[in-house]
Amino acid sequence: MKLHKLLLTVILGSFLFVSCSSDDNNDSKPSGAYDNGVIVLNQGNFLKGNASISFLSNSFVTENNIFSTVNNGAVLGDTGQDIGFKGDLAYIVLNVSNKIEIVNRYTFAKVATISNGLVNPRYIAFHNDKAYVTNWGDGNIKTDDYVAVIDLKTNTVTGTIPVVEGPERIIEENGKLYVAHAGGFGYGNTITVIKTANNTIETTITVGDVPNSIETENGKLYVLTSGKSEFSGSESAGKFHIITLNDNKVTTTLDFTGLTHPSNLVIEDNRIYYTLNNDVYTMTLAPSVLPATSLFSTTAQGVKNGINCFAVEDSRIYVGDALDFNSNGKVYVYSLQGALQHSTTVGLIPAGFYFND
Amino acid sequence: MKLKKIFLPFLLLLCQFIAAQSDSVIKLKAVVISDTQLRDFSNTQSVQKLNDSVISRNSPSLTSLLNYNTVIYFKENGLGMVSSPSFRGTTAQQTAIIWNGININSQLLGQTDFNVLNTRDFSSISVKAGGGSVVYGSSAIGGSIHLNNDLTFGDQFKNSLRFDYGSYNTIGTHYNLKAGTDKISTNVSISRNSSDNDYEYPGKDMKNENGQYYNTSMNLAFAYKLNSKNILRFYNYLFDGERHFSGTLAAPSKSKYQDTNMRNMLEWTGYYNRFTSRLKTAYLYEKYKYFENYKNDFFTFGNVKTFIVRYDLTYDVSNSIKLNSIVDYTQNNGDGSDIINKKRNIGSGSLLMKHSVSTRFQYELGVRKEITDTYDSPLLFSVGTNFAVADFYTIKLNTSRNFRMPTYNDLYWSGSGNPELNPETSYQAEIGNVFKFNNTTLTVTGYYIKLRDMLRWIPSKDGVWRPENVGRVNTFGAESILNWHKRIGAGTLEFNGTYAYTVSREDGKSEQLIYVPFHKATASLAYGWKNVSVYYRHLFNGEVFTTSDNEYKIDPYNVSSLGAEYDFKLFSGLGLGFQVNNLWNEEYQNVDVRPMPGRNYNMYLNFNF
Repeated sequence: MKLHKLLLTVILGSFLFVSCSSDDNNDSKPSGAYDNGVIVLNQGNFLKGNASISFLSNSFVTENNIFSTVNNGAVLGDTGQDIGFKGDLAYIVLNVSNKIEIVNRYTFAKVATISNGLVNPRYIAFHNDKAYVTNWGDGNIKTDDYVAVIDLKTNTVTGTIPVVEGPERIIEENGKLYVAHAGGFGYGNTITVIKTANNTIETTITVGDVPNSIETENGKLYVLTSGKSEFSGSESAGKFHIITLNDNKVTTTLDFTGLTHPSNLVIEDNRIYYTLNNDVYTMTLAPSVLPATSLFSTTAQGVKNGINCFAVEDSRIYVGDALDFNSNGKVYVYSLQGALQHSTTVGLIPAGFYFND
Repeated sequence: MKLKKIFLPFLLLLCQFIAAQSDSVIKLKAVVISDTQLRDFSNTQSVQKLNDSVISRNSPSLTSLLNYNTVIYFKENGLGMVSSPSFRGTTAQQTAIIWNGININSQLLGQTDFNVLNTRDFSSISVKAGGGSVVYGSSAIGGSIHLNNDLTFGDQFKNSLRFDYGSYNTIGTHYNLKAGTDKISTNVSISRNSSDNDYEYPGKDMKNENGQYYNTSMNLAFAYKLNSKNILRFYNYLFDGERHFSGTLAAPSKSKYQDTNMRNMLEWTGYYNRFTSRLKTAYLYEKYKYFENYKNDFFTFGNVKTFIVRYDLTYDVSNSIKLNSIVDYTQNNGDGSDIINKKRNIGSGSLLMKHSVSTRFQYELGVRKEITDTYDSPLLFSVGTNFAVADFYTIKLNTSRNFRMPTYNDLYWSGSGNPELNPETSYQAEIGNVFKFNNTTLTVTGYYIKLRDMLRWIPSKDGVWRPENVGRVNTFGAESILNWHKRIGAGTLEFNGTYAYTVSREDGKSEQLIYVPFHKATASLAYGWKNVSVYYRHLFNGEVFTTSDNEYKIDPYNVSSLGAEYDFKLFSGLGLGFQVNNLWNEEYQNVDVRPMPGRNYNMYLNFNF
């Protein structure tokens, strides 16, 4: 969910009040090991401090609120945005708290907190002994956005790389960072390529409006853009791009028809998956056209506000549903053919899946 | 076409009024008020009046005054921050704030922030429970809060000056002047409040950061008696304040918010035999500025200018029948960084009648229709009776239809406002029982509210949040208010208590609405003896749910305060007061992740001269 839409709620002095209290759960003891399963990041509500972590084991046992349970009831933070794994550690990016909580990825015991040098942090990537975190800066200021460079030995921000407005997803490939500018409070349409060797910008690649997900595979960058929403006043449809990494050239562009807004591009076992509203689509790594029909729909499970988060791993498809954004969310697990295998209740607004195996 | 039909009855009344003019002199009442409907047409519902001694013993925010003395529940985003009421389980937009008879809820938000009104600026504050849209228009669903400035003719010249100093460098200054002759009356109040508001979070190694605030307000009421039949009055209320919005347990904050409000009203009252004519014009201006980061100059803003003309005619048909017609024209002109600049025009007409069939039985009827180009407004009504079954027991019945109009933000928020919205509407009914014994008054009221077309911001298919008329909420509950006093020795012991039980849920669901407690109770015990008075106050707030699935909640809490006052015989009176708030140092949160302060202190000096 975009920050500015949520800001509205605040300005309205309004009432989507939600809790971070840890009393929603029974006394089940932490298993002590959160491997062999998927970590679910629950974003929680803007300014309500109720982000949380759930764990769903490969054998479909759910444990909610694991960060707080493991760490003596500690508050995780406000608006969980992303988790990155590096070695045995998990880096949990908390957008409104302006911090990163570092925990052991298998036990979720707290290791450290980075709370300086981050302003509206969004997503995280790693290279060697550095982490790179996209930051919006102040949401209303277009010129203060940057990528923070974090020294993982000291857990401090040691440098910043200024970039254009609204850096969102970030991935690393061959020592280069690819930053998708979804636009923050505005609407972006570029990918910035950064060389980690000297933290300088190699080039900027223009793509469709609001690139929301990026992946690399076999020397190619796959980009899905959602297009501008109706909210913008100049609505546009999503696009799919393939970019070759050695020359940063866009080689394939496929346009979504109508004013549709796809999201959640994922590559797994040489297939591309993405979502459009409540439906899941799949296609090959070299599509000439976009699929006309969906692989399956999640509406049978009651998903109606769009698939909030999505992943494909080890022949399973994971879908997170935020329901009314003010109740514990649902996670549905499907086979690769779309047959429902499992459903479970997680925390408020499931926003990402991170696989521990 | 429609408009004409509606105005016809009022025009007829006007003709009668012209014809009925006569020379007989009506004695002007000593105290003149502007909100006459509260006095004359609120006898079938519960009205709780908080007088100046109650106001003076509470902190100057309207939140604190009402939270500790009435059944209304508040959610306050940390001490002094944005504060909104839930009256009878309704939303913040379903309580109307009435300033000297005029509805002053924000046109942008549809609600009033109860921390941007200084209680000491008013002579009395009344809480009317239940529907009141027939008289007060939009938002009077849960109830209405009436801020009144009384004016008294007759020679007087009274000054009072009060200084407060309390924990967290909380400073208050208040000056009041009441002056008058037989022809002129003025009542002027000036208040200034500020606080660092940097309290420790009890039991946590954290402070309330970025919570500082200041505000200044001035309220002027002026009346001039043109002759024995005509009075001109002018009311003016200015408020200017800046609050930093404090952080939470989970996130720091850099934001701040500025409020500027100006309210002006000119009223000409004429007493002509059986007719009382009131012509009011009002100009209201509200403005906010929101800074995401107080360290830079960027802000978002919104403002609305409201112009009101109202003609209010009362006709005493006989000693037992009173008729009142009100014709109102309101124009709003809103503008802001995130809303589309719009002007809207609203015309309305109301007819009210009160008939005292006997000294024991009276009934009240009301009907109102609004006409506007912006939304379809329902026909509203109110029917109530007041029956004194016995000397000690009165039963009140009231049923009404009420509404809440869509706000500027709902209709015109850039990119997501929904201009097709309808108003929220409610049907409601209540039974009030009033018991009066020697030293005791007990009111017990049961009510039911059926609310439809409730406005909710919900995600649409493309992920954009938009307001829709989707909510269907049923609320029922009971309220009780107890007053007891007894002379003990040379002094008086007084007890005041309130209790509310509230069930509020979506149609067909069993979950309680978020931030509506099932139980809330207040109690205060005061003893006054000669120049000394001592009082103890207690608030119990039951658990509230914070998510719609009721999986998350905030624990119930008990908060008490203890205070004492001493009046010296100096000047025309010099009062010294001391208060301990949160006496038992309760660790509590009113809104999640926003701890409230632990034990804290306040002292004040009050000079009269």
